[in-house]
Amino acid sequence: MAHDNHDDLSKHVKTYMKIGGWLIFFTFVTVGLSFVELPTHGDNLLVGMALAAFKATLVGLIFMHLNHERSLIYKVLLFTLVFVVGLFVLIYLSGQNPLHFGGFEGVTPGH
Amino acid sequence: MSAATATLDHHGAHAHDHSHDHHELGFWRKYIFSTDHKVIGIQYGLSGMVFLLFGFFLMMVMRWTIAYPGEAMPGMMMLTHLPLVGEFFTGWVERWAPGGVVSPALYNMFGAMHGTIMVFFGIVPLGFAAFGNFVMPLQIGTVDMAFPRLNMMSFWFFFISGVIMFGSFLLPTGAVQTGWTMYSPLADTDQMGVKNVWMHGHTWWLLAMVFNISASLLGSVNFITTAINLRAKGLTWFRVPFFTWAMMVTSFLLLLAFPPLEVAALLQLADRVFDASFYLPTGLVDGGKHIDISGGGNPLLYQHLFWFLAHPEVYVLILPAFAIISDVLPCNARRPLWGHKLMIYAALTLAFLSFIVWAHHMYLTGMGTMMSTFFQITTVLISVPSVILLTCLMITLWGGSIRYNTQMLFATAFLPMFGIGGLTGLPLAFTFLDLFLHDTYYVIGHFHYVVAPGTIFALFAGVYHWYPKITGRCMNDFLGKLHFWPSLLFMNVIFGPMLYQGMIGFHRRWYDGGKYFEQVTSGHLWTNEVISFGAWGLALSQVPFILNVFISIKGGKKVTSDNPWGATTIEWAAPNIPPHGNFVTEPVAYRGPYEYSVPGAKSDFTPQFEADAGTPASQAAVAQAHH
Amino acid sequence: MEIPYTRTNRPDTGLFNAKIGIWLFLASEVMLFGGLFSSYIFLRVGADYHWPVHELTLWPGFVNTIVLIVSSVTVVMAWANLKMRKIAQYKLCMWVTIICAGVFMCLKAYEYNGKFHHIGVKLTDGTILTGHFPEEGYRVKLKGGSTVTLNLQTADPAYFLKWCVTPNPQFKTEAGQPQPLDQQGALMAFIDALVPGDHDSSSLGQLRRDAAAKDQKSVKLTATAPLEFAVKESKTFSHTATSITFRDGTVVEGASVEDKMTLQVDKVDVRSSLDEDKALAWHYLGDEWKKAFEEHSKEEAESHKKFDPRDERYLRHVKQMEIHAPTVAEHNTQHGGKHSAEAHAPGEEHAAGGHAAHYPEIVIDRKDVAFWSSFTPKWNTYYAIYFTLTGLHGMHVVAGALVLFYFLVFDGRRLKEDPEHLANRVEVGGLFWHFVDLVWIFLFPLLYLL
Ligand code: HEM
Ligand SMILES: [Cu+2]
Repeated sequence: MAHDNHDDLSKHVKTYMKIGGWLIFFTFVTVGLSFVELPTHGDNLLVGMALAAFKATLVGLIFMHLNHERSLIYKVLLFTLVFVVGLFVLIYLSGQNPLHFGGFEGVTPGH
Repeated sequence: MSAATATLDHHGAHAHDHSHDHHELGFWRKYIFSTDHKVIGIQYGLSGMVFLLFGFFLMMVMRWTIAYPGEAMPGMMMLTHLPLVGEFFTGWVERWAPGGVVSPALYNMFGAMHGTIMVFFGIVPLGFAAFGNFVMPLQIGTVDMAFPRLNMMSFWFFFISGVIMFGSFLLPTGAVQTGWTMYSPLADTDQMGVKNVWMHGHTWWLLAMVFNISASLLGSVNFITTAINLRAKGLTWFRVPFFTWAMMVTSFLLLLAFPPLEVAALLQLADRVFDASFYLPTGLVDGGKHIDISGGGNPLLYQHLFWFLAHPEVYVLILPAFAIISDVLPCNARRPLWGHKLMIYAALTLAFLSFIVWAHHMYLTGMGTMMSTFFQITTVLISVPSVILLTCLMITLWGGSIRYNTQMLFATAFLPMFGIGGLTGLPLAFTFLDLFLHDTYYVIGHFHYVVAPGTIFALFAGVYHWYPKITGRCMNDFLGKLHFWPSLLFMNVIFGPMLYQGMIGFHRRWYDGGKYFEQVTSGHLWTNEVISFGAWGLALSQVPFILNVFISIKGGKKVTSDNPWGATTIEWAAPNIPPHGNFVTEPVAYRGPYEYSVPGAKSDFTPQFEADAGTPASQAAVAQAHH
Repeated sequence: MEIPYTRTNRPDTGLFNAKIGIWLFLASEVMLFGGLFSSYIFLRVGADYHWPVHELTLWPGFVNTIVLIVSSVTVVMAWANLKMRKIAQYKLCMWVTIICAGVFMCLKAYEYNGKFHHIGVKLTDGTILTGHFPEEGYRVKLKGGSTVTLNLQTADPAYFLKWCVTPNPQFKTEAGQPQPLDQQGALMAFIDALVPGDHDSSSLGQLRRDAAAKDQKSVKLTATAPLEFAVKESKTFSHTATSITFRDGTVVEGASVEDKMTLQVDKVDVRSSLDEDKALAWHYLGDEWKKAFEEHSKEEAESHKKFDPRDERYLRHVKQMEIHAPTVAEHNTQHGGKHSAEAHAPGEEHAAGGHAAHYPEIVIDRKDVAFWSSFTPKWNTYYAIYFTLTGLHGMHVVAGALVLFYFLVFDGRRLKEDPEHLANRVEVGGLFWHFVDLVWIFLFPLLYLL
């Protein structure tokens, strides 16, 4: 980034350290929460992944400067994201069959 | 300034240029470990052609046993009597084709390697890497790729991958035998009990693919960066020819679709070498014995990861063909490319959709009706942009004054051939028809129509078209026609009957051509012989081409202009046999890429790179470019 | 010839080449790890066994998370300092980053090593015992070895001789001639002797073809004195009560084959047992351990009352027990306060060997073992994806650290002459490094916690 001058940068350095601190803090939170048994294990997974996604966003935005990048980079990443999500969702769904009759509620165990 | 005078100027300036900036590279740096995009393009081109020919040889051997199962091959005996290598061939042939009769193992080996070599070592290196490397930087008017050393690395990764892949034929286990798709669990468990898993054809296949994929990834990063950041002055996005667009879209496909294949290969490697069970379900039995694995995996995972690549891959095979045709057709019809913008959007749509159709190869895996329906819809949708591309090219011909030189013959033949390939894909898109047609020769006919008389014809057109730029000489037109007409005939003799066989119920991958399945095939087995003779005929028809390529380097007609075809795109501004660094003066784009037969212009083509075209419109363009 | 835009941004795109290049590369990396993560989901959703949760030792993963976060901060600070031309700070930050990478990899090696030596055994009734083998590992033993049959096409005498325990084994052919097999080049001499005749070239292939022409497929040798073998199971193809077939086709016959597995047990898991009351494990471990297990179960069931008994979390606590001592009495005294079954994988911290003092040792009949493996990709799909993901991630750590090391140590001239270009390079290297951290942010909870 050609526009960064020295003052800006030393301010940035402080931000970097602060964000690093937060990331470590959230790591503790993640570990702690994994020992709390929420109603279902799925809830635990959800919370854990949400926290991880949040941490990843911090890294992306601040450390990788995605908070002020050129539109071209955003476009590339947007498509990549769409395809990864497609990969996840479609592979996951094709393992399930939504038209499959799973029995009446409470009758089939484990659902 | 006309193209002809431009030539003289160039050469004058060229000589001048040399005396200044003269640093001679040694032979090794200049031709072998070169960072020059043109040399790398030619390296890719030559190795791609050799691999393509080799893959074709494998197929001819397979066609023998399909047509004449159990009979000894006449040709094999000749190999074993060759001087020097004869001894080596004797051992190898004896092992895999005892008495010259193709063994089932050899058939499987050649089948798997034919697919692999044609797709990953033939078409992609030729269409994408060779033409892309040679033409694309010239066409956008720049000095080289953005990362020349990465470019060199890309080629050498490809080369290593080729060495590993071809070396695997010589292993004690032979090369891999489980189809180019390497479906698990068979591909996981096939010949598992060998002494050393690392010395196994399958392991080598997987390692070779890791190198091949890395090469493609490096190449595609390089292509996209170059196209984005190194375009010549004035070359705005919609002045960029469709060729470069198509190469860019192809790069994106490679960039984003190949990694999941890498995952598929790595997991299969783990299954084979580290005894993992990624693709192996619990309780798998082989040869009446429980296999010593944990199980718990799923073979469908492999198919998903594989086809997530392999469907976009078919567009990697076809887009460079469209790229080449979109330059050759307008040039020889002397008509602007119809719907340049439309084609760009169609290609982008095609690329996007190609990521969400992959499971149409998996209708019969029991993946669930909802998902089948979803993939059926997207598959039908994707034929829309394909048809748009084809239609634009056909409309381009309308009202043109067509020059039927060899490249134009190939280019025009491409249109109906690709058309047949695409149309035969449509029935496959529907689950209820695919139920019957899946894994039959119909599918083989379908995709070969797209790739063989489709893509390969386009590649030929490209060779004839850019040959003068590469060598400064033209290829012989008579030999060219002697190449084209028999090729067209035999291509159809080969792939036409396959569609018919498939509808009867001939299955793919039958080593005896279906002799054993009389109920289905009786009365139709003669078609196998027709196809096989077609294949051998096609081989003969390539002789004029091979002669033409080599003889014309020294003996072809010298071209007198840098722009012998009267084309409009920027690569024709470079001197023939462009030096390292390409252009004598930095080219500037003054207008769109396809200004053929512009009313009022002084000739029937107005190159992008010429400031003064003599029309009021071009004067305005010049004025604009200077602001 | 100079490539444009290596230092400065192109005006209309606002980017220099390497910046575009690295983001494109990262996009493909996203797809690579995306493919792996979706494999993880697919395998986990479809798993037909109890997916391990909280099974890995937590602390190395945790420390590594912190280490990577610190290195992420330092690498971006290195770039900022270089931009400001604070060279000393730049170098310091780079060194810290590289050292962090080193620490990360050391911990990784420590973790891997523990798993290579930790063994899981699945008995035929579905009960799982984990633990360690005694020093020499598990071997199939053959006593009174008398004859060896070598396949002429595939055999390699060195392959089976490696597992012969008897020193200096001697063989003779059926004709009664002595046949040495043990010295360098023995294979050639061996085959030479087998296929007598006039070999103009002593090429192996030729010899084998000669043998084939005579329809000779294999050859039988007799040991001059009884031999003893102790063979790694993975080197064998199969075995019967009196013979072992090696993977290269060699068959050794003897008086008896003994196939027993000694295991120092550190955990019992009856979640998949057909009948946990009559589980095979108790046949080997004895009633006292069974009683201890039942008590443990009752205790855990009490404190997990809120769960449905079919809930994975209930099963995880109630149907598994770690063992911490060689005898039940000692186990009970150590088993003081509430012990969390999931805080760490038992025994993984110890290096191989020396476990006999810590755990009960049992000898299992091989016929009672349905499947066994160390905690490597073979054990189950969880460990398979664990090793693939962390292994690939580890390679990225090494590659990233090497690149940064190169910029720091071998790019000194650029630092003097063209620091702006070097800053671009460090920025690009840093972007890759952050990506590596970003992947770990997902890996850590997925593999260690959830
Ligand atoms: C125009 C629209 C297209 C449609 C609707 C279409 C549809 C299909 C479908 C549904 C299959 C699976 C058939 C089966 O296995 O049962 C298939 C196979 C195949 N298609 Fe296409 N396709 C199209 C274009 C292309 C193009 C442009 C190419 C390549 C350049 C191509 C190459 C292939 C290949 C290689 C296979 C077979 C792969 C294998 O199983 O080994 N297709 N196509
Ligand atoms: Cu497809």
